[in-house]
Amino acid sequence: MSLLACENLVFGYASRSENRAGLVSAFDFNLEAGEVVALMGANGSGKSTFLKTLAGFIPPLAGTVSLCEKSQWTSRERARLVALVRMGRMNGAFFDRMTVREFVGLGRTPYAGVFDGHSAEDERIVDESLERLDLKDFANRWMSELSDGECSRVYLAMAVAQQVKVLLLDEPNAFLDIPRSRKLFVMLQTLAKERGMGILVSTHSVEYAERYCDRIMVIENGLARCEAAADARAKGLLDWTEKF
Amino acid sequence: MIGGRNTFRILAGFALLLLLSATFSYLTLFSGTVGLSWSDVFVDDGSVLNRIFWDLRVPRLVAAVLAGISLAVSGLSLQTLFRNPLAGPFVLGISSGASLGVALSLLAGFSFGHFGVLTSAAVGAFAVTFLVMFVSNHFRSSTVLLIVGLLVGYFIDALVNLLIVGSDAEALKVFVSWGMGSFCRLTSDGIWIFALAVIVGCVLIGVSIRYLNAIRMGEDFAKGLGVNVRLYKNLVLFGASLLAASSTAFCGPVAFVGIAVPHLAFMLFKTGNHRLLLPGSALCGVTLCLAAGLFTMVPLNAILSLVGVPVVLLVITRGRGGRG
Repeated sequence: MSLLACENLVFGYASRSENRAGLVSAFDFNLEAGEVVALMGANGSGKSTFLKTLAGFIPPLAGTVSLCEKSQWTSRERARLVALVRMGRMNGAFFDRMTVREFVGLGRTPYAGVFDGHSAEDERIVDESLERLDLKDFANRWMSELSDGECSRVYLAMAVAQQVKVLLLDEPNAFLDIPRSRKLFVMLQTLAKERGMGILVSTHSVEYAERYCDRIMVIENGLARCEAAADARAKGLLDWTEKF
Repeated sequence: MIGGRNTFRILAGFALLLLLSATFSYLTLFSGTVGLSWSDVFVDDGSVLNRIFWDLRVPRLVAAVLAGISLAVSGLSLQTLFRNPLAGPFVLGISSGASLGVALSLLAGFSFGHFGVLTSAAVGAFAVTFLVMFVSNHFRSSTVLLIVGLLVGYFIDALVNLLIVGSDAEALKVFVSWGMGSFCRLTSDGIWIFALAVIVGCVLIGVSIRYLNAIRMGEDFAKGLGVNVRLYKNLVLFGASLLAASSTAFCGPVAFVGIAVPHLAFMLFKTGNHRLLLPGSALCGVTLCLAAGLFTMVPLNAILSLVGVPVVLLVITRGRGGRG
């Protein structure tokens, strides 16, 4: 069973007239449990828009996106199935006022009641997520005190606490150095296998995409193509990376 | 969620605030120019002392408590909604609206029927609130709303200034004294209206705690967690406006409580979780207002600003939130 399936999908912002036809011509895409797919393409090719469409933030212009073989979900049900994580450098005023534990606890929001109370079970899941990403010692640190590498682990821990089936990541290693990027991709592989998650990760790191992802999806010249990572180079999916 | 090592701090903080507000409540009721004792109060003999207690002191206590709750809760929720630590209950032009109402009634001679200053303040405050709420539906960005609120405030202040020019000295004196804020204007009849407005406002914000906790990381983030951002944003805006407008109507534009108290509460409780920070701020606001209300000889806004300004400065200099 596909965790996530797109059929004849056309995505883009309906309000922008130049995009009415969509950024990319209609295509199909499936994400299976336990696999990590790299999403690649030049800046502005539509990677982030695609991820937002999958997460339900933007309605598709045409075609369908279904999660667990159903295309209609309430926003809360959807939040229990799919998370879109954007790990930019966040310096909001409220980063000063949130501990790591509290941030990871936000992952339980889709399960919380109206007063945002956490049950013992919620607390256990938060603890487990912190442990899973080696954040136990950081639990009481303020978010603003973390390094970028630590921050990316906290974001992942939140998604783990959210217990989603589909994890969408928008350039998670944009601010990470080489060893931390590698560690992140290894972690994604482990999470996908251990938890049966489907992970779609947009990145500019060709090497990690080839080494640590199962498949590579490329958006180029208005076309979306997807191949097994091992065959991607041979099939010309990565030619655009050497364009200039 | 109470973070482990923080539990003691939170319990101690609530205990301290409860103790302080109980003490200040006692002082508000029984000390002052005329000292009172229990026996004066509970035997309803129609004496002067009995009247002082029930008609002056009790309304003053209730005014301070309700104003403390409403300003702190509306200040905190608006700071969170706008993700701006310097937002406060008056960013949406509410106090300006109230002063326009009062200025129209006192200075320009528009009488709102046989209603007094209180009603004119309420009418002005709500009129501006609904104007800004109406405008807010046309903007998705909270920042634009913040700017619109401030601009509307400036515009109305200018109108008030026009009214001030050429008004007679006596009316001007009443207007200026309204602007200084006071807990002494609440009457026994007004108590119920004020209390009802505060309850409704607090309920609206109370049911939005999940939204307030999630919105700290931005609207898309909250949406991703399945929170109905549009609905709760409107609930919080309406609740916060109701709280600020009612407190302005009954106590005048009380400065700084709304801006300073959420920061004080954070410094005390060291948590950003609104489940704790909302009641914590409310209690902080009550304590501060009760304390300020004890200085009956000094204008309320003067004494509050003397405390409020250093706090806001401290917050700015210690970097965006008073983490320490």
